[in-house]
Amino acid sequence: MEINYRLIENKALQESLYHYRINPGMDLYILPRADYRKKYAIFSTRFGSIDNSFRVEPEEEITTLPDGVAHFLEHKLFEDEQGNVFDRFAALGASANAFTSFTQTTYLFSCTANFEQNLTELLNFVQEPYFTEETVRKEQGIIGQEIKMYEDHPHWRVFFNLLESLYREHPVRNDIAGTVESISKITPDLLYRCYNTFYHPTNMAVFIVGDLDPAIVAAQVEANFSARGYKHMGAIVRRYPEEPKEIMQEKAVQKLVVSEPVFYLGFKDIVVDKLSGRDVMHREILMELVLDTLFGTSEKLYNDLYKADLIDEGFGFEYAAESTYGYTMIGGETKDPDQLYDRIMSEIKNAQKNGISEEQFERHRRKILGSYIRKFDSLEFIANNFLAYKFRDTNLFELPGVLNEVSREEALALIEENLNSERHAVSLVLPSE
Amino acid sequence: MSEAYSIHYLPNGIRLLLLATKKFKTISLGLFVHQDLKSETVALNALLPSVLEQGCRKYPDYLTLQRKLENLYGSELSTDILKSGERHIIAFGLESAHDRFLGENGRLLKDTVSVLSAVVGDPLLNDGAFHKGYVNQEKNQLVKDIKALLNDKAAYAMERCLSEMCADEQFGIYKLGRIENYNNIDADMLYRHYRELLSESPIDLYVIGDLDEAEVLNTVTEAFTFPRNKSQVKLSPVDINRSVNGVRTIEEEMTVNQAKMVLGYRTYTGFDDLLHCPLLVYSGVLGGFPHSKLFMKVREEASLAYYIHTRLEKHKGLMVIAAGINAADYEKAREIINCQLEDMIEGRISTAELENTKRGLVNQLLSRQDSPTQLISFHLDGVVGSKIYTFEELIAGIEAVEINEIQEVAGRIMLDTAYLLKPRGSEVINHGN
Repeated sequence: MEINYRLIENKALQESLYHYRINPGMDLYILPRADYRKKYAIFSTRFGSIDNSFRVEPEEEITTLPDGVAHFLEHKLFEDEQGNVFDRFAALGASANAFTSFTQTTYLFSCTANFEQNLTELLNFVQEPYFTEETVRKEQGIIGQEIKMYEDHPHWRVFFNLLESLYREHPVRNDIAGTVESISKITPDLLYRCYNTFYHPTNMAVFIVGDLDPAIVAAQVEANFSARGYKHMGAIVRRYPEEPKEIMQEKAVQKLVVSEPVFYLGFKDIVVDKLSGRDVMHREILMELVLDTLFGTSEKLYNDLYKADLIDEGFGFEYAAESTYGYTMIGGETKDPDQLYDRIMSEIKNAQKNGISEEQFERHRRKILGSYIRKFDSLEFIANNFLAYKFRDTNLFELPGVLNEVSREEALALIEENLNSERHAVSLVLPSE
Repeated sequence: MSEAYSIHYLPNGIRLLLLATKKFKTISLGLFVHQDLKSETVALNALLPSVLEQGCRKYPDYLTLQRKLENLYGSELSTDILKSGERHIIAFGLESAHDRFLGENGRLLKDTVSVLSAVVGDPLLNDGAFHKGYVNQEKNQLVKDIKALLNDKAAYAMERCLSEMCADEQFGIYKLGRIENYNNIDADMLYRHYRELLSESPIDLYVIGDLDEAEVLNTVTEAFTFPRNKSQVKLSPVDINRSVNGVRTIEEEMTVNQAKMVLGYRTYTGFDDLLHCPLLVYSGVLGGFPHSKLFMKVREEASLAYYIHTRLEKHKGLMVIAAGINAADYEKAREIINCQLEDMIEGRISTAELENTKRGLVNQLLSRQDSPTQLISFHLDGVVGSKIYTFEELIAGIEAVEINEIQEVAGRIMLDTAYLLKPRGSEVINHGN
């Protein structure tokens, strides 16, 4: 019997995506891609580093986690009673991995053979936790080295120091892996508690892309889930602290061994957490257009700064929009952070006063459309981004439509509202020797 | 599908390698100028792509060029300088979305080829030399880039190990050269070097996408018309036979949290060696995958590292083992590594280790066929190594590798240089073996 599906078509991309609903309520997406050798599958849960306080309805009891649990759990799922999960993928010729972000944990494999068995392996290991005192202790040493590696990474440090400065309460200010101290508090019980909450199928999704027959793959996934007899679980109530509009501090400075200062300027978004679904994507695309128009390589400021030796090719920007937080970051390596700061701030003021031209706006719109299409050569890009958007209740395939509908007037209003000098901070890493 | 290029020579001797495939949503161009890696020309070579990218006769500054690319739907021009074995390769890439997703009726190939040929072959000149301002500006940027190697500690440690190990060989030259190499370069000298290169160095142009062969040939023939000499320079073979006279040990202190260990080995096995495939399998069994000996022993069993892996420089016949560890665990890690190397020599390799490694290598090779840039870099490796393997040949070669061949490779491998970057003031504990 074929399982029902909904077909999501995208004209701009000439793609057809199959959307299945698997019992007891998990979304499965399959994108057939002819000619590709590789097949890529991801299994994601909406559990990231910021989800550190929660309860499950109808229970009243609130669980509060030390920092770094989502990431720690990700590491630990790769070990079970039979041993190391990597070995089993290796035997099937697949390459397996996982990553944890602020908002989700994703398990993945890519393979060019044995797809069906690899998919079973992925579905099984993620659904079969095995945590013991001993394996938890062992992982503390490994993750301790991972944390130390990032402590020496100037761009990682400058990024988190900026989030710590923009946010007072929200857990986005904490490193995804936690600290050596916070992960020392992790126990098997705590991992099971998180697992049983966030790894319920209703909080998860699967995306598979490659040269595949959707009906056959969907039947395999359905059979795997239905054999497990999942019980109904109440809604997960995630609790985030009340975040004031005000930033924490205007400036963070850290010294590391670097050849030049690393400078990031950040703006706290205080509107995005009130939006949902397509509106978040709408805002995100507008911000991408705004930032590219103000600071992109084709604009006057970038070229002036480069000629003045205030930036190098690594200068860049990003805007992140999630359901509970959002921020803009601009920066790179510079010999003169103060002067670079002044130039960026005065460009923002100038844009607030004089606007941006129709020609600029349309040119950048064109660029974003072309870049978006180019990225669809990468199966990893499609799968990873599709589920990231899905967990924000939007659809990656709607991007060309949203890109087409945003207006210059909205962009202008956003420069005023979201690049507001009252909510900005600077993070610096300075040379220590 | 087959990934065979159709090969043509343009009237001026540039080699065109065309892969017509409907698989991708992009049109990818890659142009490579091949030379020997030499200290006299290293800085000149590194400067060239940077200076050319700043502006050409048709698009006289970076801003104008970037706007042109944006109007071509965000086509992306990239320049790079590659070191591959003892070759120094100037690289240009231009990737754009394919017309069929943009309703542009086949103009993009012509337009992007015209941009690439303008940048490579028709530079902005003042008084018969490059623009002085651009040359000075890019000299300064490259000096900054050389200093910035320090910012990524793992890359810095790798480069330090290899440059010490090959200090009196061509390979020991950093791909950007040394700061002092830039002192005496002026616009005139750089332009003379450019003319010489364009005229005498082998140039390969790759084109990948859903394209008509005759149309591509016409388009590039019309665009790349700069005159070239009939005879091209003969490039030197790489030297892989340097003998090891005792292990060189280098310890360097820095204000960092994590120690970086890089061990440099000579394999005496070149790209065209009959034992090329056994070397790939050797490196894979030892440290190429999460199922490999080093990952299992050093990370999973001893919890000493987050990352530990081998890496091959296939052309120069070098292998490195790299890891991030606590400095205090250095001797312990070395002991475990030595035991694994000993197991390789003795042929203590399980069937699973051998077969899983082969499958993993085959999976990597097949996966490369799903990316235009990977398809290009795969072929480029063959050009540099003067031996063009097809994917099928390499896969068959890997699958046929036997343990005694791996032992034969293991018998050749010699540790040359042990490099350790360690936190200031840290003690390396000697376990007194």
